[in-house]
Amino acid sequence: MGSPPPSSAPRPAPPLSRRSVLRGAAGAGAMGLLAACGGRSDAAFHADAGPWRRYAGTTVNFISENTAPTAAIAADLTPFTELTGIRVNIVTLELSALAQKVALDLASGNGEYDVVYADPYQVLAPYAPAFADLREFAEDPGLPRLPGGFGDFIPTHLDAAGRFGGDGKVLALPYDCPTMVWQYRADLFERYRDRMADDLGFDPMPSDDTTWEQYYAIAEWFNDKTDAVRYGTGHQAKQHDALMCDFSNLLWSYGGDYFDGGRRVGRVGTLDPGDCRLDSDAAIEGAAFYQRLLRIADPGSRTWDWDGLGAAFRAGRIAMCPNWHEYAASNEAAMPGKVGYARLPKGPARSAGMYGGTGIAVSDVIPERRRQAAWLFVNWATAPRTQLANLASEVGGGTPTRTSVYGLPRVTEAQHRPSKMANMLSATAVKETWRSDTIGLRPKIPMWAECDTAVYTQLSGMLAGDASPESAMRAATSRIDRIVARGWVN
Amino acid sequence: MTASTTGAGPLEHGGRGSRILVRVLVVTALIWTLVPLGWMLLSSFKPTAEVTAATPDVWFGPTLDNYRNLFSGGNNLGPYLRNSVVAAGCSALLATALGALAGYGLARTKARGKHHLSFWIISTRMAPIAAVVLPIFLIFRTLGLIDTLPGLVLAYLSFNLPFAIWLLNAFFAQLPPALEESAQVAGCTSWQAFRHVILPLTRPGLVTTFVLCLVFSWNDYAFALVLSGPRTQTLPIAASQLVTQTGIDWGQLTAIGTVVVVPMMLVGLAVRRWLVTGLTMGAVTGE
Amino acid sequence: MGSLTTGLRRDGRSSGRRSRIPLPGFAGRMMAPGLLVLAGVSLLPFAAVVIMSFSRVHLLGGLRLEGAGADNWTRLFTDPDMAWAWARTAGYFLLTVGGEMVLGTLLAICLWRLRHGRNAALSLLLLPMFVAPVIVGLLGRFLTDSTFGLYSWLLGQAGYHGDLMGDKTTAFLSVTLMDIWEWTPLVTLIALAGLTSVPSSVLEAASLDGAGMPRTLRHIVLPAIAPVLLVALLIRSMDALRYFDIIWNTTGGGPADATKTASVRLYETAFRFFDFGYAAVTGLLMLAVTTVVARYFVRLLDRKGLAR
Repeated sequence: MGSPPPSSAPRPAPPLSRRSVLRGAAGAGAMGLLAACGGRSDAAFHADAGPWRRYAGTTVNFISENTAPTAAIAADLTPFTELTGIRVNIVTLELSALAQKVALDLASGNGEYDVVYADPYQVLAPYAPAFADLREFAEDPGLPRLPGGFGDFIPTHLDAAGRFGGDGKVLALPYDCPTMVWQYRADLFERYRDRMADDLGFDPMPSDDTTWEQYYAIAEWFNDKTDAVRYGTGHQAKQHDALMCDFSNLLWSYGGDYFDGGRRVGRVGTLDPGDCRLDSDAAIEGAAFYQRLLRIADPGSRTWDWDGLGAAFRAGRIAMCPNWHEYAASNEAAMPGKVGYARLPKGPARSAGMYGGTGIAVSDVIPERRRQAAWLFVNWATAPRTQLANLASEVGGGTPTRTSVYGLPRVTEAQHRPSKMANMLSATAVKETWRSDTIGLRPKIPMWAECDTAVYTQLSGMLAGDASPESAMRAATSRIDRIVARGWVN
Repeated sequence: MTASTTGAGPLEHGGRGSRILVRVLVVTALIWTLVPLGWMLLSSFKPTAEVTAATPDVWFGPTLDNYRNLFSGGNNLGPYLRNSVVAAGCSALLATALGALAGYGLARTKARGKHHLSFWIISTRMAPIAAVVLPIFLIFRTLGLIDTLPGLVLAYLSFNLPFAIWLLNAFFAQLPPALEESAQVAGCTSWQAFRHVILPLTRPGLVTTFVLCLVFSWNDYAFALVLSGPRTQTLPIAASQLVTQTGIDWGQLTAIGTVVVVPMMLVGLAVRRWLVTGLTMGAVTGE
Repeated sequence: MGSLTTGLRRDGRSSGRRSRIPLPGFAGRMMAPGLLVLAGVSLLPFAAVVIMSFSRVHLLGGLRLEGAGADNWTRLFTDPDMAWAWARTAGYFLLTVGGEMVLGTLLAICLWRLRHGRNAALSLLLLPMFVAPVIVGLLGRFLTDSTFGLYSWLLGQAGYHGDLMGDKTTAFLSVTLMDIWEWTPLVTLIALAGLTSVPSSVLEAASLDGAGMPRTLRHIVLPAIAPVLLVALLIRSMDALRYFDIIWNTTGGGPADATKTASVRLYETAFRFFDFGYAAVTGLLMLAVTTVVARYFVRLLDRKGLAR
């Protein structure tokens, strides 16, 4: 059981092991047969039409998490339908429901969904062989070219959201890119700047040199010295994925990491990440600081995921928090002009901000022409023009994943108030974070969902006072090692 | 519990102290029951900013925006509503019909192992959904039932049918067999005796069964999530879609909550009288 | 589910004149359609779950099962978190079902003794049972949110400034109370149905005897409605173990696993970890436990029914 199962070939023909033939073969056979039937037919095809019109009359099914760019695209699909004659059905779900539907769709052997919102950790890594290599489409002369090529995507995004396993394939195009930044009440920081500097002995304004210890001191200052907010800092520390995200920033900035394999595990992804390193001294130190920080944070933190934290921040309960940069638009709506954004503070080792972006992928368990029709949609949905439209959309506001879009005059203008694209107010902070030495990438391994659960469960225990940082980290380590040793079955 | 008693009045009257206590308890229960629902209803008419105001706000300019957003634009709730009505309604109807037949058969059969059979029937309702959903998905996929309303109806039968059989069996069991026997003496066939003599007597039971099945399937989330597709999403799915990556729109969520809840409440209340008599007849003799 | 019919039970009744040929009679023909549908939607999936529990389940490129012997089952005994999940499940079961039974019965008796407005009160009290569990969960989250939740605010006014969902005990109690909120009405309804069927002559006789209210309740009323209460108990205990919508939508199992019951574990194993083999084992275990509990209640019910 120690070695990972072979799963490199796309669309593996069932390799019948001896055991599987002998045991439960009848049941397996029956269910396999069941799974083989069903599904939809291939796409329409007009060989003589231009590259964008060849699949007119086809319907493309897109399954997505309910994210900003999808909301913007769903609100106005006419440009795509006019361009291609393809109808698009969009199914939006929350992430865990999406992962469930995608897994079942793949299990049926004949996909219902053509374009998949492929969360790198819950979809892409576990089911990488089920997605088409997009380079083939990009190079196919019969298909429209990818504007700007793959190189226009921000490099860390393309690796983190688009690739798995270091074989060079591009399985998904970066589609959204929420990233954790330091969000603070600029109005309060300005008002108390001098008093804080006097009391604390350093300039409190967030800068590249601010450390987590200083962040702690600022938070404590707000707790004790003013009534402008109830607490200095708030966190997303509910027993939930959010807690892992929030903690990871500290883990990395203290020099810890999840696995022996180091940053490669996060950026490229692997089936075999090596031993878990959460029991290292650096990791335990990070955890100890996190515990200390949460003691002075708003006690509501333990009940908040990112959404609860965002609501608390907008309600004026707290002076600052680490949260996803895409909350900038709703922050601006709730308290115009009052919120500032900066890269997260640094620890003894570095500054790290969790990246939570996702790409959209083309399913490989559908017929060829449908894959090509799906590519048209993926190509269009991530194109500069669409990203710009999303940014300006009233319902959306997703942020671009392409370098060229950030260079557009309309976009650079929007980085300063008054801004028509409020999410761009956080652009400087996120662009800082996306550098390869500051981006925070959690392990991209197929069994991450289970490891993630082990991590945030132990952390939640630590915050509840059940365990010391050291024992929580050790417990997480032993669980993760066991999960990884079991290997991944897909 | 009910404490003081002054002498020996009939139960319905009791002492003044205990009468007051009863009223206090009922009022407490009413508050406990109604506050969450009332708050949901109230919040659904609030402007977005006030829904999540830090201090609860009772005076506000009511707005229909949340409802308007639900029924317009990209996420029109209409189809969801229709799917829910059709799937839950058909499933409850089928469950009641099949349940009446099987419940009657079970009540009248003299076959050996009847108790085992009836326990097997009810045990099928205990299956943990998350465990059986994968095989059901694959079977339905083969039969082409994914993303179809018949598929949902069939899936809902898996929990409605055992319940219907079980409940209705109790009704039939407490009707004396002499009823059909005399009808048969008068020249009826077994079917006619069932159809014209027995069935009318169990109308409260049928209504009760139908309504409870309707509620169970209307409220289902787990099956609908897995088995529905773009064309067959139901209301609870729509509710969960409001939980988005960048937050929950609580205004719309309370509105959709109201839309999901109100029809079932109306149905339930319309047949409340039947619910009590229905359960009285059935459950008392429960098998 | 097929295996459940093995003879756990020894029937006390004498088997006098029973037909030797079981089904094809009128009764059999009446049962056939329902039972066939039921078998279709339950036996086949059940068999598949049993097979899955002995397999590694591959999803990619169409489902494949690879024999894994008893691996999944042995893992059950080395899983450090499973025993705790079951302990919490037992606590959750006792608190919710127990609370619902006690409160539901109490409320039914109160309503029954109410001279005016009984129907109106009942109508209003029944409302929660019509609410979809997923909505109950989301509504619970809305009400207990520490920033804008009504209940958090009310508790704050009353001097409690902790966070309901942030503390292990209060989080557990909160999800328990949400379940009680939703399902007490069902018990009330069933118990009230039982109460209204208690013949008034019995009560009059009791009052003539000079029996006080508590004694009448205890010796006359409760025994009379005991079978009905058992029905309520059975319905609730079948669902109490299965449903997880409320917990999933409020705490997600936290904090520090305080609300992670077996059904939450099952859902997580199946649809977060996609470990369907182990999920099958968890599911079968849950089914077995529910069956044993239900079996016990059914036998109790038979005995009560006979005693009457």
